[in-house]
Amino acid sequence: MNQTNWKRRLLLAMTAAVFVGGAGQAAQAREITLLNVSYDPTRELYVDFNKAFAEYWKKKTGDDVKISQSHGGSGRQARSVIDGLAADVVTLALAADVDAIANNGKLLPLNWEERLPDHSAPYTSTIVFLVRKGNPKKIKDWGDLIKPGVSVITPNPKTSGGARWNYLGAWAWAKKQPGGSDATAREFVKALFKNVPVLDTGARGSTTTFAQRGIGDVAISWENEAWLATRELGPDKFEIVVPSISILAEPSVAVVDKVVLRKGTRTVAEEYLKYLYTPEGQEIAARNYYRPRNPQVAAKHQELFPKLELVTIKDFGGWTKAQKEHFGDGGVFDQIYAQ
Amino acid sequence: MKIRRATALASLALLPFAGAAHAQNAPDQAGVNDDLRREIEEQKQRLAVLERKLEIQQEAATAAAASAPKITANAQRFQIGSADNSNFIRFRGTLFADNRAYAGDSAPETADTFLLRSVRPTFEGTFGGIYDFKLTPDFGSGRSIIVDAYAAARFKPGFIVTVGKFKPSVGLERLASEPDLRFMERGLPTLLVPNRDLGVQLSGDFAGGAFSYQVGYFNGVTDGQSSDNLATPDVETDTGGDYAARVFFQPFINSDNFNLRGLGFGVGSTWQDLDGVSTNPYLPSYRSQGQLSVFSYRANTATGTTPNNATFADGERLRLAPQLYYYRGSFGFLGEYTQVKQDVSRTVAGVTRSDTLTNSAWQGQFSWFITGEEESFKGFTPQSTFQPGKSGTGAWELVARIQELDVDDDAFAGGANSFANPLTAISKETSYGIGVNWYPWNTVKLSLNYDLTSFEGGAATGDRADEQAIFSRFAINY
Repeated sequence: MNQTNWKRRLLLAMTAAVFVGGAGQAAQAREITLLNVSYDPTRELYVDFNKAFAEYWKKKTGDDVKISQSHGGSGRQARSVIDGLAADVVTLALAADVDAIANNGKLLPLNWEERLPDHSAPYTSTIVFLVRKGNPKKIKDWGDLIKPGVSVITPNPKTSGGARWNYLGAWAWAKKQPGGSDATAREFVKALFKNVPVLDTGARGSTTTFAQRGIGDVAISWENEAWLATRELGPDKFEIVVPSISILAEPSVAVVDKVVLRKGTRTVAEEYLKYLYTPEGQEIAARNYYRPRNPQVAAKHQELFPKLELVTIKDFGGWTKAQKEHFGDGGVFDQIYAQ
Repeated sequence: MKIRRATALASLALLPFAGAAHAQNAPDQAGVNDDLRREIEEQKQRLAVLERKLEIQQEAATAAAASAPKITANAQRFQIGSADNSNFIRFRGTLFADNRAYAGDSAPETADTFLLRSVRPTFEGTFGGIYDFKLTPDFGSGRSIIVDAYAAARFKPGFIVTVGKFKPSVGLERLASEPDLRFMERGLPTLLVPNRDLGVQLSGDFAGGAFSYQVGYFNGVTDGQSSDNLATPDVETDTGGDYAARVFFQPFINSDNFNLRGLGFGVGSTWQDLDGVSTNPYLPSYRSQGQLSVFSYRANTATGTTPNNATFADGERLRLAPQLYYYRGSFGFLGEYTQVKQDVSRTVAGVTRSDTLTNSAWQGQFSWFITGEEESFKGFTPQSTFQPGKSGTGAWELVARIQELDVDDDAFAGGANSFANPLTAISKETSYGIGVNWYPWNTVKLSLNYDLTSFEGGAATGDRADEQAIFSRFAINY
């Protein structure tokens, strides 16, 4: 056999060794790591859920899956993913933030909402008021929030998904009042933010401001966060007030295609999100005060979730329109908060 | 703290009003007290808001710092990387400004010279914490070449793939990086192993570095040469390839045994079946420790239509390089032996002579930090730096070396038909060297070396004259 043949054979063998070695790596990868980049108040939800999913996945495949969590204001989290934070999945406060990752980061397709049931929102929530025990400022509805001397806690809509739901909830209520219009809603929201002494970057920060730092008379809050604060920080300290009108908050979940493709974690990432829709996943969501989509699970926990009139993001023309009009640079929020 | 103090002061400031309120009638007093309580509560809220705003600002600053790209610019490196350091680009470089002087008649006067031995900026980096690259050109000695240009994938500590131009893993001192050399010039065994070559290598460490291996396939270069020395730099013209392998053991590297922790030993090897021709012989030449040419095979002396009669590689080349180092405290030892078996041929007047020649070299190299720093194969940390007017001497190191290169006697057999000319090519050189290194700063090194080398053969009568080389160097290793 001549030298050229030897050389070719060796190169082939070494190339094969590289790929076989690589394949070997994959075959031996019994521990899989996922990163779930989520928004502020979901810490407790995903601690519970991750544990359950890891057990489920171990039983199903024999593989160990370790899920890391990252939390912060939803808008800021989306920005981090666009900037390179290697999220296998995002579970953010609203579709607009996932849209931003698809549009600006090109990390997943624009039709991501269609890949999972309920337009990729496996659980919902709404916006309520958390007040101090006895409700000393007699806050019953949105209109009470602009009264003189009422201090309101809500995060910054530029960085927090929850804050955007809060804002839109307030806008919807104002518009539904007699003689209500976009103009009156704008004035109402402007007056509301004049009563906001401090803007946190995320919902959990606002809870800390209100519940632990003792600032403010009322916190506009995710329903799940309000329940959590009441249960965890002291039922003798806080009360939940359900306004006459609120908004159906639909946190969105999605696999980040470019990341899972690079890491080879697509299957487990997809299964992770699908597990949120299972009765087990829905039960965990309900236990953490998120409104489950599954009717049976919702019925089981109905005492946690009072019925109220809910507008949806569709009433604002969808997230693309609402985001640009209200929260984009130079949008309504910038205009009223700068004044 | 300031805010809390302000709260207290605000409360104190309100006390006189509270005292005054006592002097009023009861209903008025109650009203005033309510106003005061409300006022105090409002002040408390304002202060709490201010505190919280500061807290939020600090949290935002911390979060921004945690995700911000890291720029490192210090005495050791200039680097820009991501916050988690899994992606970075680093700039490094070496500059060796040398002086070479030779005592007596051991070298022509023109050999005394200043030179830029090495001018090597290096760009290297990592992507995704796995994929590395390195690019090092060299502008020293009047050349413009690529010294290193490779990419590596560190899939696991035990499974690393490197592709490009780099050092095949064979000789021990060759594998030491330039800044970590104890002598200015590598020893004689390095003359017999490849320098840089183009190829692919699988490598890895196991048991925390207790065992390491490298297996590679390269274009192949002659002893001591780089692929940039080829007729067309970095372009292979022969059809053979060089197989290289090395295993190295550091059995006590992770143990508490201080006496043996710095012990490492192993063996490297290459094999190539190489068919040179008299016009392209693929055979090496060797230099003295003073970097003067002292050995080469016979070149073509034929003229006119007489066939080329240069000696050429004609078959297998096998290198074997057992090696060892031992470091304990401020003492270090590096020893290696290298043997090259090379099939050669020479055709003179239509008669071809062939043989397998065995050339070998060995060295024992000792180093000692008299200022107490720890010796190691890969760098060290000076205990002090030298700055005029301040205390600190920098690190001082004494080095000594004994070494030998032995060319196979059969290379000179055959009279005029020999493979090498005994009148111009030495058959053996033995060298004794001493030196001192001063590291006034982490990245600065001043070296002074003296090498006394004696030869066998290589002269028209008797032996080539002893060589006394005095080399000095100012080195920057960034």
